[in-house]
Amino acid sequence: MNHRITIAGAAVALALGISGVGAQETGTATVSAKPMSGNLTSISDAMLQNAAGDPKNWIHPNGNYSNTRYYPGAQITAANVGKLVPKFVFQTAVLESMETAPIVINGIMFLTTSFNHVYAIDATTGEEFWHYKHKMGPITTFCCGPNNRGVAVSGDTLYMGTLDAKLVALDAKTGKLLWEKQIADPDKGYSETMAPAVVDGKVLIGTNGGEYGIRGFVKAFDAKTGELLWTFYTIPEKSEGVWAKNDLTGRDMHRNIDAEKAAYAKDSSFYQTLGGGVWMTPAVDLKTRTVFFVAGNPSPDLYGAIRPGDNLYTDSLIAVDLDKGTYKWHSQYIAHDVWDLDAVSPPILTQAKDASGKMVDVVIHGGKTGHVYVHERGTGKLIRFSEAMIPQENMWVLPTKEGARMLPGANGGVEWSPMAINPKLHMSYAANLHQPMTYHVEEAPYPGGSKLWLGGAFKTIPSEQQWGQLVAVNLDTGKIAWKQKTPQPLIGGVLATAGDIVFNGEANGWFKAFDARNGKELWKYNCGAGVNAPAVSYMVNGKQYVAVAAGGNVQIDAKRGNSVFVFALQ
Amino acid sequence: MNNSVLIAAGLAVAFSSAAALAQDGGIEAKAQVCAACHGPNGNSTDPQYPKLAGQTARYIYLELKDFKEGRRHDPQMEPMAKNLSSEDMLALADYYSKQRSAPTGFKADGAKVTAGAKKADEVLCTMCHSGGFSGQNEIPRVAGQHYAYIKKQLTDFKTRQRTNDAGNMTSVASTLSETDIENLAQYIANL
Repeated sequence: MNHRITIAGAAVALALGISGVGAQETGTATVSAKPMSGNLTSISDAMLQNAAGDPKNWIHPNGNYSNTRYYPGAQITAANVGKLVPKFVFQTAVLESMETAPIVINGIMFLTTSFNHVYAIDATTGEEFWHYKHKMGPITTFCCGPNNRGVAVSGDTLYMGTLDAKLVALDAKTGKLLWEKQIADPDKGYSETMAPAVVDGKVLIGTNGGEYGIRGFVKAFDAKTGELLWTFYTIPEKSEGVWAKNDLTGRDMHRNIDAEKAAYAKDSSFYQTLGGGVWMTPAVDLKTRTVFFVAGNPSPDLYGAIRPGDNLYTDSLIAVDLDKGTYKWHSQYIAHDVWDLDAVSPPILTQAKDASGKMVDVVIHGGKTGHVYVHERGTGKLIRFSEAMIPQENMWVLPTKEGARMLPGANGGVEWSPMAINPKLHMSYAANLHQPMTYHVEEAPYPGGSKLWLGGAFKTIPSEQQWGQLVAVNLDTGKIAWKQKTPQPLIGGVLATAGDIVFNGEANGWFKAFDARNGKELWKYNCGAGVNAPAVSYMVNGKQYVAVAAGGNVQIDAKRGNSVFVFALQ
Repeated sequence: MNNSVLIAAGLAVAFSSAAALAQDGGIEAKAQVCAACHGPNGNSTDPQYPKLAGQTARYIYLELKDFKEGRRHDPQMEPMAKNLSSEDMLALADYYSKQRSAPTGFKADGAKVTAGAKKADEVLCTMCHSGGFSGQNEIPRVAGQHYAYIKKQLTDFKTRQRTNDAGNMTSVASTLSETDIENLAQYIANL
């Protein structure tokens, strides 16, 4: 699902009126616990670019611009991971779902919580330096929990997107607010939960709101001033596309194309409310100056009749120019989606064999469909898709009023959970859900951006068990290398390390380490609340640490917590 | 947005009335009218009237707007909402969202609560209504709401007597049986 500054006409009175009653809320709410450590350093562009080879720091939400979530340090290995113990637990003041990927700079950790709190702590002891609490505006609109997935960093500044659709810039040293910028109008269903990316002085951020009839985008802001540099709309004015009969893997989607064409000819103005949220961190290829991201579902999720056409570029992998924000290519997984089986998990840049067996630059995506898709990086052309990582049945049956059963359920497959890769092993690792569901459609006109707009419902099937599966895929063949079934659906994301370990959390509180080569479980620790966030790793004074948040999850209603657990070898 | 923007936009009047309501206890006077049915601090005792205490501000505001503009129907609420300005509705929403919800004293049937909890999991209620049915934004808090009121709303969605939900609850309720609705209402009222 799964997520504009100009307010015209009558809306002005409303928006300003709300502001008058609710809050004149600007400025900071930072509490300092102790002066910042002198070890904090400024993050240069070179550091950001070379992060993939830097075992000391974790300065991108997904490890590096390629989103590999592959930690280059190898102190923790299959031979010693059994001796991993908790070094400290940092408790935040917010008992609500945690999806944060902590950022670590020279032994200082920056983590976020639900409702846009940010903490700066000592990454070896958990001692707090400062705590920033965003002063939320009076209107927030979001579907799936008050989540936040972390900050981005550049220079001495942290960047965070907020539930009231702002971009805030904080002084990393003090936690003081430097500036904030309204990205879009929360009254129209826009909100921010993703960690932005900062590259070459630009902050890149998309938007949530695919359940509210937004028009999705990725925007670039000047990292110094907050000035808007470019906007790429994920929904072009002409959204009809090529009237694709099949999905990207060649399966018939049972569209009534003649009826859709007739409806589109009558009215195509719905592009303004067609959804296509981008709510996970993009990948960036500086060699070709390209930004890669996936766009989410069309709005409304299940009721397709009022949005005829392929609904470009929803459910697509998209490449745009880093400097101008202009379109390069797209590859649509599902045209005219009516199942919310969209594209969410952030794309990863790596290499894999093409059809002729030659190693080439690729961009991969783990879909809600349960496939890992491998694309040529320069053109977007699909090289291969993996075996299904979870059961697929009855695809693509159309939703009905009474409900039509289809697998996977609407959460996937792979939800927003970032995948990790191990480039040595040519494997990707994906956290999957198996939630059998029925898909129900209900006629529903656009409700004005103020109300959840699914056009129906998803319901689980009580007689069918739900579970999760951590799956390793060989990127050169698309074959499943190994899989580990879990008692509950998986949401959160994966970490892989150069010690050939894969770390993954579960809703029942277990945080586990697996052998990246064969999936053998090597270690586990129970955090007491749902581990539904991606882990990170870093090194301080020659010791490798692994950190993960245990805060539970709204979407699968995993037990809530408020803590970040940090582990190291005994 | 700050005061100078408001004045520049020529909305000083609207703003000051809202500010006055919020500041000098004017809102509590307005809320007196509501209290006749919804109880002191929004904790109603008559189960046909929903509790408003602790409800999300966004939901209260949107429902008042829907009553006023004819998207939600109720012979008592429609005339009440007719005379409310946007500022009134926002101030009332803010006021009731800040009140503490008190227990209704509902005596639940254990077996029905268990069955309702199971049904709630199946229908994925908390994906929108959030953990513990505490609500978020425009999705209402329904934990601890009156049993009779919950039952009536679910029935009204099912029978399309209530249609201001953008289709979501209509779709959810369409496959609920009368027993499901009773069990769900027992479970949620008991939270």
